[in-house]
Amino acid sequence: MLCPCGDKTVYNRQLTEERPLQEQIAEADSVKAALQSAESKRSAASKDAGSEQDDFTMLKSLADGQKSKETTEVPVKKEDQYVPDESDSTKSRRLAEDYDSTKNGMEYDDPESFRQVDGTPLTAEDIVQKIANKIYEEDDRGVFDRIVSKLLKLGLITDNQADTLEYQVAEALQDLITKNAKNNEIEGAESNDQETRGEQDDQGSDTDAWEPPRRRYNEDEDEEEEDEDEVEDEVDRDAEEEGDTPDNTWDKGTEEGNEVSPEDGLQDLQYFPNFYRLLKSLDSEQDTQERETLITIMKTLIDFVKMMVKYGTITPEEGVSYLENLDAMIAMQTKNKLGKSLVLPDFAGPNGKNLDEDDNTKAEAAKMQKEYENLKDSTKEDQPSTETNQPGKSETYLEAIRKNIEWLKKHNKDEGKDDYDLSKLKDFMDQQVDSYIEKGIIAKDEGDTIKRIYSSL
Amino acid sequence: ASGKRGRELRKALVSVWLQCPTITRIYTIGESFEGRELLVLEMSDNPGTHEPGEPEFKYIANMHGNEAVGRELLIYLAQYLCNQYQQGNETIIDLIHNTRIHLMPSMNPDGFEKAASQPGEIKDWFVGRSNAQGVDLNRNFPDLDRIIYINEREGGANNHLLQNMKKAVDENTKLAPETKSVIHWIMDIPFVLSANLHGGDVVANYPYDETRTGSTHEYSASPDDVMFKSLARAYSMYNPVMSDPQRPPCRKNDDDSSFKDGITNGGAWYSVPGGMQDFNYLSSNCFEITLELSCDKFPNEDTLKNYWDQNRNSLVNYIEQVHRGVKGFVRDLQGNPISNATVSVEGIDHDMTTAKDGDYWRLLAPGNYKVAASAPGYLTVIKKVAVPYSPATRVDFELESLMERKEEEREELMDWWKMMSETLNF
Repeated sequence: MLCPCGDKTVYNRQLTEERPLQEQIAEADSVKAALQSAESKRSAASKDAGSEQDDFTMLKSLADGQKSKETTEVPVKKEDQYVPDESDSTKSRRLAEDYDSTKNGMEYDDPESFRQVDGTPLTAEDIVQKIANKIYEEDDRGVFDRIVSKLLKLGLITDNQADTLEYQVAEALQDLITKNAKNNEIEGAESNDQETRGEQDDQGSDTDAWEPPRRRYNEDEDEEEEDEDEVEDEVDRDAEEEGDTPDNTWDKGTEEGNEVSPEDGLQDLQYFPNFYRLLKSLDSEQDTQERETLITIMKTLIDFVKMMVKYGTITPEEGVSYLENLDAMIAMQTKNKLGKSLVLPDFAGPNGKNLDEDDNTKAEAAKMQKEYENLKDSTKEDQPSTETNQPGKSETYLEAIRKNIEWLKKHNKDEGKDDYDLSKLKDFMDQQVDSYIEKGIIAKDEGDTIKRIYSSL
Repeated sequence: ASGKRGRELRKALVSVWLQCPTITRIYTIGESFEGRELLVLEMSDNPGTHEPGEPEFKYIANMHGNEAVGRELLIYLAQYLCNQYQQGNETIIDLIHNTRIHLMPSMNPDGFEKAASQPGEIKDWFVGRSNAQGVDLNRNFPDLDRIIYINEREGGANNHLLQNMKKAVDENTKLAPETKSVIHWIMDIPFVLSANLHGGDVVANYPYDETRTGSTHEYSASPDDVMFKSLARAYSMYNPVMSDPQRPPCRKNDDDSSFKDGITNGGAWYSVPGGMQDFNYLSSNCFEITLELSCDKFPNEDTLKNYWDQNRNSLVNYIEQVHRGVKGFVRDLQGNPISNATVSVEGIDHDMTTAKDGDYWRLLAPGNYKVAASAPGYLTVIKKVAVPYSPATRVDFELESLMERKEEEREELMDWWKMMSETLNF
């Protein structure tokens, strides 16, 4: 959701082209000051609240119609956060400082103006809602594209901001669809999501109306969104809550999501085409129970993996590859057990994944990756097909490393020593790994895996 | 250059190392013929270092590539020692703190790959036994038995028979790379006790392997026959299959008449020239026995747990045997270590030598012994020791060099002369 915390008033902007330039500059400055103080407060209070910043800055830029800004937002790559006392969670944000008064103001069609009917200024949420409504009514995503491309062209927003806007609109749109779908009593499986999700929706997405914003896909944005949601999650968490948020559903878009009906609450599962097809094959009435059970199991698994990634127990890539393998295994088992393959013609199998899936898998990986400090090695981990042990190996190594850490903690406590020094251990292990690689004791990819595990701790 | 199973071996060792990095280290002693690393996992409280006075121990498995049980057992053992250490098992903690344990799960990875690659359940009795060159590694070591038997008759050194070892080894074209690597390893590290793991039968076999007369079966006792029997029993007694007196032979027509209490003298069972076991004993200070651990050379994976259960206690207990007999340091009067000093025991025609820090270990069965330390240029010192079953008895030696003694004598003489002259002048 937008702006779950912080002073809402800071985000109310008068979004009009008509305010004098000077006034807008002055207001921008004062807002910036307010923001900075709010930010420092917030940095102390919460891990990350990046997307709020984005909202604000983006809207600020919209508001300052005449001016363009070089909003040099540098959404900080979050460091491995889950040793909170040690990492620096403050983001470095530089609010726009330059105003180019030579730029033209925005021109918008009336329905897309940034003002309410009664003339009162719009909040950020209003804007997003407005756009979403428009898209829904016209059933045309092009509405958004039009608006955003104008903004971009005029240099009023950056790509970052455009993406943020896109995600928020997507979310709002999804809400709309859901509400309307509910109203119309669309047939489909009931949502079997029993966990409370706080502010989350558990709706699927409607592919036809929305495609993943791949073009402007931006890792940083995702990170912020996810961070925001996690902040919520930590506040709202109960035993059953999944780490799922509405934003999730839109971050990746839905390519195979054709198969997800909004009521299913299955948006998480869209990345498991084989599992999906399995579910689809259980479409008779007597299969309902089984279907629901499967869904619950799968979701629990996914949540578990997410949780592990979140808490740094495994790296994002490991999480992804684990889930990928899971799906592949489902395909195999299904084939064996049901005696039929669920593979559709456009699903090319391990060698050539359907482009969309690839993107979405990448999106998922990238999304998870952004919850953490970006690992130095940005090349993709070996594909499972080339080294069938790779995921198993990572898990084994991870398990071993965890045992060591646990033992160190306990051991040092028993002996009354200070807490072991993780960074020293990490350095030592990195050195050893390099030495082992050099001597041919371990392969380079194994060494990288190990280093990666350590740096994710 | 390693197959899937090679990677799994490595993965297993690396996992142990990752779990217990402060007490383990992986190293390689060289490459097989086909370029596979001969990996060793070392376990001690100070991996990578020889601590003066701390005995060195090794297990080597799978020198016959198709004898696979030992290979798996050493992996289990590594995991076990690491886990137990972390769980606070006092025995294991002491063992690791006081011993440097080296585990080589596969001395013949090339052969293993070949054996393992055979399709189907039943593995051929011979495929993968030898290395990639077709060399049986357990016949490939320099035959020192032959030399010792000559020396027994005609006099000569009773140990450390391979003179100028490094040169002889490197120039010997008949030696397989695996053999060479192990020989270098033996020369570099002052191993005290060792076992090599095989399959195809179930028994603990001790030196000598080669018969004195060249006949096919003949009890061929070494000077340490008593101790070797004790060592072999220390293994077999904890293995319920090995020590079962009612155990039928692995194959109907097998001759296991030499087996007793689960142990056998090598020559009494059948003559083996050029084996690694005897090479250890006759080229270095290391006592090695040969453990045959399974009737089936390459059994199904699902049987491995049973083999582990059968052998776990034996494997640990055998390592503990390294803490027996006498041990200590040989130094000069200034406290400097004397390396390569000779430590001999009256009545046992097999001498030890001290390592670089002047440290030595002499495995002995319980009894009373006279232990002597000597070195060129020094005066020999003899000490009487009563040796229990365990732990090892600490016996240090301070050797006076000949020069020092001459100097002393000269001073004594001077003193006497002075006294005499004073008396005479009185």
